Amino acid sequence: MTLIVRSESPTTDRSTVWLEGRLDAATFAAFDEAMHDITPLVDNGGTLVIDLSALEYISSAGLRSLAQLRKQMHDREGRTLLLNPQPQVKKVFEIVKAVPVAEVFANVAELDQYLDHMQRQMTAPEG
Amino acid sequence: MRLRIPNRLEDVFLALDRAEGTLDRAEVDPACRADVRLVLEELLVNTVRHGYPDGRDGSIEITLRIEADAVHLELRDDAMAFDPLQHEPPHLPGDIARRDIGGLGLHLARSIASDFHYARDAHGNRVVIRFDPFDEPAT
Repeated sequence: MTLIVRSESPTTDRSTVWLEGRLDAATFAAFDEAMHDITPLVDNGGTLVIDLSALEYISSAGLRSLAQLRKQMHDREGRTLLLNPQPQVKKVFEIVKAVPVAEVFANVAELDQYLDHMQRQMTAPEG
Repeated sequence: MRLRIPNRLEDVFLALDRAEGTLDRAEVDPACRADVRLVLEELLVNTVRHGYPDGRDGSIEITLRIEADAVHLELRDDAMAFDPLQHEPPHLPGDIARRDIGGLGLHLARSIASDFHYARDAHGNRVVIRFDPFDEPAT
């Protein structure tokens, strides 16, 4: 198996991308290309969710692609959140301290809760 | 398993699949299988990309030996001298988007292997690695 990328962009403030297979030196270019079409669909300040439930393997080449993606979203005041990494991916993330632990979620409910919280913080009156 | 491949990326990935098949048939624990694949990918891709700056044809030999309590991997190549152990560990600020993205592959390979040796002889580079399948840190 190589890599399958699927996405859904129901609103302009949030897109979800599902990865299935392996994100490595053989597949990262196809991933970068797919993301090139998907990230512009998210507004500045929006959220990109990468669902890793079916990603069984990542190597440093895949990490590099995720890093570029995070950087791109960050430059547009947006964020990239990671959902449900599997054991191998989790292990690799831990070894290289890939992402802040607060931006990795075990499931959609946890992620939604986080986004609601962020939303409330942004809309709460100051003082 | 003993395999000799040319220094081309497509052959690296064929070798990875062969190695994984061998480990699978020997019923090696899936976590260890993934570890071997990752270390192989990082080291072989690095050798193919950087080991032959003059663009010459080269050859890489991969030997995989599976024992009851360990998997042994040996890589030999005729690339320029390169000791993966001599590289400084990368700076890890806790977010890959905030760092220069080089050096992660070798760091992963070194962190995952249970034992890692390098030697250079008349034939070229030689790396010997051991994996302990049942020594996985609990996560």
